[in-house]
Amino acid sequence: MLADAVEPFALSALKYGLFALLFLFLWRSMRWVVRGLNVDRSPAAPMPGAGARAGTGRSASQPVAANVLVHAEGKEKPRALRLAANTVIGRAMGCDLRLEDTYVSQEHARIFAKNGSWYVEDLGSTNGTFVNEQRLAAPAMLTTGDRIRVGTTILELAR
Amino acid sequence: MSSVAVPAGAAETRRARTGFGLLILAVAGSLVAYALQGLGLHGEVPGNLAMYSVLFTGASIGGWLVIRYAARSADPALYPVAVLLGGLGLAMLYRLMDERGRVDIARDQAVWLLIGLACFALTLVVVRDIRQLDAYTYTIGLAGIVLLLLPIVPGIGYEINGARLWVNLGFVQFQPAEFGRVLIVIFLASYLSQRRELLAAGVGRFGLPRVKDLGPLLLAWGTSLAVLLLERDVGASLLLFGVFVVMMWVATGRSSYLVLGIVLFAIGAYIGWLALPHIQERVVIWFHALDPNNVNGIGYQLAQGWFAFASGGMVGTGLGLGSPTFIPYVGSDFILAAFGEELGMLGVAGILLLYLVMIGRGLRIGLERPDTFGKLLAVGLTTVIGLQVFTIAAGVLRLIPLTGVPLPLVSYGGTSRVATFVILALLIRASAGAWYRVRKGS
Repeated sequence: MLADAVEPFALSALKYGLFALLFLFLWRSMRWVVRGLNVDRSPAAPMPGAGARAGTGRSASQPVAANVLVHAEGKEKPRALRLAANTVIGRAMGCDLRLEDTYVSQEHARIFAKNGSWYVEDLGSTNGTFVNEQRLAAPAMLTTGDRIRVGTTILELAR
Repeated sequence: MSSVAVPAGAAETRRARTGFGLLILAVAGSLVAYALQGLGLHGEVPGNLAMYSVLFTGASIGGWLVIRYAARSADPALYPVAVLLGGLGLAMLYRLMDERGRVDIARDQAVWLLIGLACFALTLVVVRDIRQLDAYTYTIGLAGIVLLLLPIVPGIGYEINGARLWVNLGFVQFQPAEFGRVLIVIFLASYLSQRRELLAAGVGRFGLPRVKDLGPLLLAWGTSLAVLLLERDVGASLLLFGVFVVMMWVATGRSSYLVLGIVLFAIGAYIGWLALPHIQERVVIWFHALDPNNVNGIGYQLAQGWFAFASGGMVGTGLGLGSPTFIPYVGSDFILAAFGEELGMLGVAGILLLYLVMIGRGLRIGLERPDTFGKLLAVGLTTVIGLQVFTIAAGVLRLIPLTGVPLPLVSYGGTSRVATFVILALLIRASAGAWYRVRKGS
């Protein structure tokens, strides 16, 4: 046995040493959790692959910027959305235009710009894409006022 | 596609350095705790401290090397947290069992920790991409249910302390439900990622699920009740249903599932209360543990746990200097009370914060995954750990009626140790995939 006065002191010093280690560990690992929470405050990253497609879709002459009005079923007011050079429509998390609609496929269709015009293309969806109630078989050029239907949602091209 | 093929970037090197720094701290903390237990208990460091240090350090760094080899860009914080929790748990178990003259039990747990690390490494090496598991939805689901209900089978299943959750295969005894739970989570992640849109479709003003979509919820409820009534295992039943409801909620984004789940849970709890006398007793203990009639009777364990917390105060008596062995089953259900007595509120808060780091990272891994399956899997696995910690910690602190589930990685329990390491391996694998995507995308 050590001297009676020294031992309790040494033991509690060691105990505080253990606390120091424990909380140093916590401080350093907590920083990781907190930093993790701040990583992407920036807009959501594009879908993998969408970036590549945008590359092919982009051309020398951009068409006049356009909006689509999204008429979702059961909603009175349409939602307006500015079209990007490549807008993927679907239910998947990474889509540019996400639709909460049971009849829409994960990646349903895309609207893209080519040679100064807007086109719509079906991406192999289950229930099809309709332009003015005509089922789309190949990419189609759009003009203002065209109504695109995916599932129960109608997208209207507007200036 | 394997993440191993990706060359190391600056961010990855930084991550690895952070991870290794944390690991060194974790190993140091564990060894200091072990040495202190000996000092407090006998006035000298444990005789096998040198051998223990070498083995513990070697095994910890071994696990870290496997991560470096098999999942390069993995999360840096999860593994060191697990090492520190495991090391603190072993030190406390050694101290408790030494005082009772059963050091061999603590040694067994050290061996189980090694087995857990081996399974951790094996999982990382075998499961190269988390999406491999998405391919066997129903096989995995069936295997999970079989494991869950295995203890009912006469001949191999048997009872300990009133709960029938053990299986004896002759050469080894284990609790299959611990692994069954992991498989069920994989199954649910796979199933829900295919069906989430259909299940998310709601009707009515409150967006209640359609009646035909209630099938899975009712099935899970029935299975949980079966586990409760046939195996009399409150903890397993509660974890199973809790994880299911959380995953359903996350998959569909509908809080109505959460509300329905709570209602069903209340009904199930009432049925259990009516059917099983020992649940009624738990509730009585919960309310009246310190009642003079109970404090030396049915409330003895909980009351002793409280006394341990009380005598610990803010910083505790010091490791090896308290008397937590008054608490029955202190190594399994009440190990948090032992920490409360010897390391005080600071120590208990530290341990709970370690779990918070683990859970925070787990949920973050889910957020970073690009695929629905990976997201649901990460959230589900994290929920298994989180619910377990909540159930036992809140039970010991008398916030809820006591339900005997192990405190993951810390308390006594071989199967739980191994299963938790498998869960961590899957989370780390999921994080490596997520990092791979993040780097590729930027």
